[in-house]
Amino acid sequence: MRAIGLVALHVFRDSVRDKVLYSIVAFAVLLMAASYLIGQLTAGEDLKIIKDLGLAAMSLMGLFIAVFIGIGLIAREIDRRSIYAVLAKPVRRTELIVGKYLGLVGTLFVNLAVMAVAYYVILAYIGSTLSPAALKAAPAPAADPRLLLAVVMIGFELALVTAIALFWSTFSSSALLSAGLTVAMYVAGQFGADLKNFEQVVESPAAGMVGRGLYYLLPNFAAFDIKTEVVHALPVQPGYLVLTAVYALVYIALLLVASVVIFSRRDFK
Amino acid sequence: MHAIRTEGLTKHYSVGFWRSRPYVALDHLSLEVAQGEIFGFLGPNGAGKTTTLKLLMQLIFPTSGQAWILDRPAGDVEMRRRIGYLPENPSFYDNVSAEELLAYFAALFGYRGAERAKRVAVLLDEVGLGAERRLQLRKYSKGMIQRVGLAQALINDPDVVFLDEPMSGLDPIGRREVRDIILRLRDRGATVFFSSHILADAESICSRVGIVAGGKLVAAGTLADMVPFHIKGWDLIVSGVSADTRAALAARGATATLISEGRYHVVLPPELSSAEAVALVRATGGELVSINPVRDTLEDFFLAQVQQSARRTFD
Amino acid sequence: MKKATAIVLGAVALPVLAAGVVALQIVRERAFPGREPAQQALYVSSPAVLTRLALGFDDVVADLYWIRAIQYYGSTRLSPSADKSYALLYPLLDLTTSLDPNFNIAYEFGSFFLSEKPPGGPGRSDLAIRLLEKGITARPDRFQYPYDVGFVHYRDGDYAAAADWFERAAATSGAKKEGERADLWLKPLAASTRATGGDTRSARLMYEQLLNADAAWLRNDAQRRLKQLDAIDQIAELQRRVGEYERRFGDPPPSWRDLTQADYLQGVQLDSEGRPVDPEGYVYVLNPWWGDVTINPDSPLWPLPTENPA
Repeated sequence: MRAIGLVALHVFRDSVRDKVLYSIVAFAVLLMAASYLIGQLTAGEDLKIIKDLGLAAMSLMGLFIAVFIGIGLIAREIDRRSIYAVLAKPVRRTELIVGKYLGLVGTLFVNLAVMAVAYYVILAYIGSTLSPAALKAAPAPAADPRLLLAVVMIGFELALVTAIALFWSTFSSSALLSAGLTVAMYVAGQFGADLKNFEQVVESPAAGMVGRGLYYLLPNFAAFDIKTEVVHALPVQPGYLVLTAVYALVYIALLLVASVVIFSRRDFK
Repeated sequence: MHAIRTEGLTKHYSVGFWRSRPYVALDHLSLEVAQGEIFGFLGPNGAGKTTTLKLLMQLIFPTSGQAWILDRPAGDVEMRRRIGYLPENPSFYDNVSAEELLAYFAALFGYRGAERAKRVAVLLDEVGLGAERRLQLRKYSKGMIQRVGLAQALINDPDVVFLDEPMSGLDPIGRREVRDIILRLRDRGATVFFSSHILADAESICSRVGIVAGGKLVAAGTLADMVPFHIKGWDLIVSGVSADTRAALAARGATATLISEGRYHVVLPPELSSAEAVALVRATGGELVSINPVRDTLEDFFLAQVQQSARRTFD
Repeated sequence: MKKATAIVLGAVALPVLAAGVVALQIVRERAFPGREPAQQALYVSSPAVLTRLALGFDDVVADLYWIRAIQYYGSTRLSPSADKSYALLYPLLDLTTSLDPNFNIAYEFGSFFLSEKPPGGPGRSDLAIRLLEKGITARPDRFQYPYDVGFVHYRDGDYAAAADWFERAAATSGAKKEGERADLWLKPLAASTRATGGDTRSARLMYEQLLNADAAWLRNDAQRRLKQLDAIDQIAELQRRVGEYERRFGDPPPSWRDLTQADYLQGVQLDSEGRPVDPEGYVYVLNPWWGDVTINPDSPLWPLPTENPA
């Protein structure tokens, strides 16, 4: 257990200093700030647009972090053989995997938090420039605390993406291939509803069954998207959030166990 | 108790993606290393040295056979508290400093607080890393990384140390320092198992060597025991030699070549003992500058062994 | 990991967790069916395809289409070209609202400008109402959408239909919300529209509501419309006094000065030369032969909704 914590802390320290990370976060903040300008181009609802763009920037940049640094987790370590020295230490491979996963999720959450703070600062500033009439007409305040719900769900979503990245990198030693597979799975997870309804557009019932099976097995990323509800101040049932969070946790557990099983018998040539 | 023991250790890799065929990286390696020994594991590149070390560290799993370290099976986590390992051409994390890396590894061994900080400082001093220890590893040269690798292998004051090509990437001074570190380890009772493709590295420190070629152990024992390394003659550099001396040496079957004014390179046949030759030079008024034995290099020996094993396969 | 542990994990934990993932997916789907997209939308029309292509960034893509719709409307309106059909306006707004069915401003903008007569819009009240009906489906609680439908009918002069929709708006849950209580003005609006459709009183009621709109262009427009209503009322009043003058002297007044000197302009806002002015300060035009009063074509209020700009 102590080893897991140490590995996690080390991964956090190593990856939080990655320059790529800084640029991704800086880009996200820039994008949010730029949404202010885009808001000026539109007639009305600029607050909504700024909220939309900010959440989208967070989720997209988070995806970049999860995929590219997540792949580096194992794939780059094997590639560069830094894993050799670590595995000769009194650390089980299971502990290494779980520790690395937690360290990366920690890095991801810190970055998400930084982006969220920037998001709120920008929203608060824009809120202060709006007329009282416009604020009253908006469905929710500018720096609406409910937006955090969407950020938390993005957090769960990205933790799942990280687990997928980890899973692929446990059996492929090519970082690029792992990244490609992870992104493919993310995209497939967005098309969940289409897979489910696949049987309506194909003739063969077998193909329909395959589509339906994939729908239930592939991670359903669409479920984490509550951006619309939160931006428009529509109700989101707590039960839904809890169920989706539990879904993410069980799926992450599944991927971690699979990663551990594969990783524990893997040769490092 | 043996420090290291292997029994029929074998590793096959499959080569090629489609219709993979096995490639024998290591073929029934059986080896014993006693505690307190400095064991040189020698062989040309691709002979199976690194494969053996990875099997011992359980970075890869054997196709067949077994390995024990300190009488515990390789891969035993508790046993790993007592060993150290320097991988070949090590590489660590770009964004941490040497100090942080060693602190992380020390923590994995259970060192905490001030004790850990002291341990890290002592080891970095020992491998000769100064103020640069606070720099991120991305800024290190190959030699500096090699020193960091050596330090991390010794962080837990191990009983058995595995060093894969510890001298590579180091300048002559670095090589000497590593040699001193290995000797100090032996002095405090540790076992050192190191691999090298350079005979000179082994000669100066090893109590015993094993020689691998083509995945097979071809010889093991003390260097002196190994027939092919018998002396084939002597190489002398002498100065102030007169024509008389040259004549006396020539009479004993030696050849002398002029290097520069009054300085000659003399090759003596193996029948003549070194003491006899030195006495001869002195008696005729000459001055001895250097004396070196002439013998097969490790490479010659490997070549002979490989040819022999190839011939065996043909026959 | 020992081989046995790996087998146990692989053979027991993996299937159990995989079953858990599937079960959770099914439970969530049953408990919250509303979030599943409508099935008939699949591969049917271009908004459906676009939603797929948006890859979960529907809201942002909706924003982009909204921006395009605004830019398209603005550039068409300002372009010197005679073609003011605004052919892309409806498809753009349709895509925007399909990607984000809660995009309030897109519905309000759509209803307002799609039904506007050329050159200010394509004059397609049918499309305006179709767009608003999408909004009503997405948010049946909002009173604004049925109200906007009524507004479109009102501008087309169909006061009975307008009154029906105002009543429907008053009946929504959103109209009865505490703090809003839109039904309190929607019901009288419906009644007055039904009774005296076409007089300025109900129009005034509607535009006064628009003064609270969140979009500045809507507020500005409402302000202009209210001034136009003032001008219409003022013209009616001036026309009445011109009529009185004509009855007394047999001829319409040759100029405003004659009317002032005869003391017929008591209580009317006049400029320094004694001529009546509209709310923007422009002198009303008096036709000395027929005695009819019209708004000054230079005034920003021109043309008034009742006047033919041609």
